[in-house]
Amino acid sequence: MRSVIWYLREFLRAPWVHAFLFARTAPLVTPSHFRDYPSLTDVECTHCFSCRMICPAPGAIEVLQEGGGWHPVIHRGHCLRCGLCVEACPEGVLASGRILRWQEEDRTSFRATFRIQVDHAKCMRCGNCCVSCPVNKEQDPQMASGGHSSNLEVIMRIAGGKHTVIHEERCVGCRTCEGACPNSAIRVARILEGVQGVTEG
Amino acid sequence: MSLLQDVKNWVRARSIHVSYVDVGSCNGCDIEVLACLAPRYDIEQYGIYVHNNPREADILLVVGAMTPPWVERLPALWAKIPPPRAAIAIGNCPISGCVYNRRETYILGPVSKYIPIAAEVPGCPPRPTEILSAVLSVAPTVFRDYEVNRP
Amino acid sequence: MKKLVDVSIPLGPVHPCWKEPARIKCETRGEKVLSAEVELGYMKKGIERIMKGRPWQEVLFLAERVCGICSVIHNMVFIEGMEAISGITVPDRAAYLRVVVNELDRIQSHLLANFSFCYTIEHETLAMYLLNTRERAMDSLERITGARVNKAYMIPGGVRFDLRDADRAALCADLDYIEEAVNRYARMFEGGPLIATRAKGVGILTQEQARIARAVGPTARASGIAEDLRLSHPTYRRLEFAPIVRTEGDNFARIMVRFQEIFQSIGLVRQCLHDLPAGPIRGGGTCGAGETVSRGEAPRGELSYFIRSDEYGRITDIAIRTPSIMNIDACTHHMLPGVTSLADVTSVFVSADPCIACNER
Repeated sequence: MRSVIWYLREFLRAPWVHAFLFARTAPLVTPSHFRDYPSLTDVECTHCFSCRMICPAPGAIEVLQEGGGWHPVIHRGHCLRCGLCVEACPEGVLASGRILRWQEEDRTSFRATFRIQVDHAKCMRCGNCCVSCPVNKEQDPQMASGGHSSNLEVIMRIAGGKHTVIHEERCVGCRTCEGACPNSAIRVARILEGVQGVTEG
Repeated sequence: MSLLQDVKNWVRARSIHVSYVDVGSCNGCDIEVLACLAPRYDIEQYGIYVHNNPREADILLVVGAMTPPWVERLPALWAKIPPPRAAIAIGNCPISGCVYNRRETYILGPVSKYIPIAAEVPGCPPRPTEILSAVLSVAPTVFRDYEVNRP
Repeated sequence: MKKLVDVSIPLGPVHPCWKEPARIKCETRGEKVLSAEVELGYMKKGIERIMKGRPWQEVLFLAERVCGICSVIHNMVFIEGMEAISGITVPDRAAYLRVVVNELDRIQSHLLANFSFCYTIEHETLAMYLLNTRERAMDSLERITGARVNKAYMIPGGVRFDLRDADRAALCADLDYIEEAVNRYARMFEGGPLIATRAKGVGILTQEQARIARAVGPTARASGIAEDLRLSHPTYRRLEFAPIVRTEGDNFARIMVRFQEIFQSIGLVRQCLHDLPAGPIRGGGTCGAGETVSRGEAPRGELSYFIRSDEYGRITDIAIRTPSIMNIDACTHHMLPGVTSLADVTSVFVSADPCIACNER
C-alpha cells in the first residue's frame, strides 16, 4: 500500500509538471534522415536502367524520356522507399535521406550480373526473344525475323535451329525477352551482390 | 449557405470519429496508425477519436491489401456506417497492392473498386506525421456541405 | 430452478481490442468459458507463392512484409539462410550491427505487446506511456537505418549502412531514457492492485500444457520452459545473457517476461556497442544453390525458414513457420478454457501476443 506522499512525489516531479503545463506534440515534419521518396538531383541521367532493374516493387519506377533528356519517375502509390535505386544508380541521379552521402563515405555499391537461362525442351526457336531484345537491336538493327543474324556481336540468336547465347555479359537484365517468349522458355536471372570498397571498371 | 449548414461544417471538421479495418495488411501501417495515437503525435488533440465501432464512425480507415474474405465483408461494413461518411486508404497496399501485386498473388485489385475512397496516403508504411498531415488536410473538406452535395 | 444456457460467443474479426482480424468462438456457461476455437484466414495474401522463382532482392522485401512488427527478424533469418546456402561469411562489424538493430526491434515489439495488453485491460495511462517510450526506440532505428518499420537493413554479406558516431551517441541516450522509463512502468505494473486482478492468476498455462502445445517465445518462458534460440546463434554466443524464465504462466508472468526482456535487450545493445570492431560492413558474395532451414528468435518465439534455391540464387521452395501459430494454439486450447469471465478472453488472447499477419502470410 503506497502512501500519499509516495504518489505526490511520483507525480509532482518538476519535468512532469512542466510537460503538463507546456506540452506540445511533435511538429508534423519528416526528419531529413528519413528515407523518403527519392528525389531527382541535378546529375544527368544516362538511362542505364539500373534503378529499374533493382526495384523490388512492381510498377514503382520508370525511366522516361522527356524534352530531350531522360529521368526516372517514381510512382508514389507503389514505391516502398527501400532506397535500392538510390544506391544502384552509378551517377547519383536519385537522392533519398542520407543514403547518397553514406554511400560515398562507405564506398558501398551494388553489383549486378545477368545470366540467361533457356529451357530447350520448351523453346520453339521462334526468335521472339532475339528480335525484342533492345541490346540486340543496337548491335544488329537488321536482324531478320525469326532471330536469325549473321552478326556475332548480338547477345543471342537462333543459329542452326537452336537458340545460342553469344555475349551474355552484354545483357542489361530488362527481361523483355521473358515477356516476348510465348512459352516462358527463357528466364533472365538478376544476380545482385552488395559490395564495399570495390571500384567499378 | 445557411447558418445551420455552416455550423454543421464547423463541427464536422473538428470532431471526427474513426474506425479502422485491416483487410489484409502486414501490420506495418496498422502500427503506424497506432503510433498516431501515442502522446508524441496525439491525434486526439484534433478531435479525432479512434474507437473501433463502425456504427458510430464518420471516417473508415482502410489498411491493407484486399484479400478474398473481405470482398463481401468490406462493403457490408461500409453499409453499416451511417452517412456522412468517408473512407481513407492508408499505405501502399489498398492503393496498388504494394509488393504483393504480382501474378501469383491472392490479392484482388485496389480497395477503391469495392468502396469509394476519399483520400489516400501512400507509403510502405507512411510515417505517422504523413498520416496525420493527410487526415488533417482532408478533415475540413470531406464533409463540407454534405447535405447540399448529397441530399 | 435456474437453467444455465450454453452460449457460443464470437469475438469477431473487427474488434476494438485487436488490430488484425481473427475470430474467436467461445463456448460459455454463464460467464465461464468452457472451450474456444480460433478462426483465421482473413489476411492470407499468398506470400510464399509469390516468393517462388524470385531472387533475394525481391524475396527480402516480401519476407520483411510478412509481419510489420517483427520485420527485422524475418529479414535476418532469411538472409542468414541465404548465406548458409551459399557459404557467405559476414564481417564482424556487420554481425554486431545486425544484433544491434535486431535487439532494438525486439525492444519496440515488446513495448508494443505490453501496450496492447494495457490497452486491452483499459489501463490507458500505462498504455500511452509505453507507446510514447516506443517512439524513442523507433527514432533510434530511423537514425541508423533510415526507415521506421520496414527497414531492409540486412543483405547477403553484411548490412547496408554503417553506424555513425553521432547516431551512436543518440542511440546510447535513447537507451538510457528507455531503461529508466521502462523501470518505472514495470514497477507500476507490478505494484498496481487493479492490474493484478486482471493479470494475476488469469489465463494460466502450466509447463506441461506449454510443452504439449509447443508454445514458444515469451509465452513459453513465462511457463517455465527455458528455451531461447539466441543462445545458439554465433554472434549472440559472444555476448553474455541468459534467458528470462518465470514459472507462474499467467498474464502477469508473460507481461513481466517481456518487460525484463527489454532490459536484457538494452544490455545486449550496450555490449555490442562496446565490442563493436572497426572494419567493412559488406563482405560481398553471391547466392547459389542449396537448401537449408534457418532459425531465429523473433520477439514472439521461434521463427524458421526452409529455403531451397537454384544455381542463380532464385528461391524455388520456401516454407515459413512463424511463432504465433503455436502460441495461438496454446492460447485457445489451453489458456482460454477455464477463464472465469468473458471479459478476460480478450486480455488472455492479447497477452499471448498473437501476430495474425505472421500466421497467415
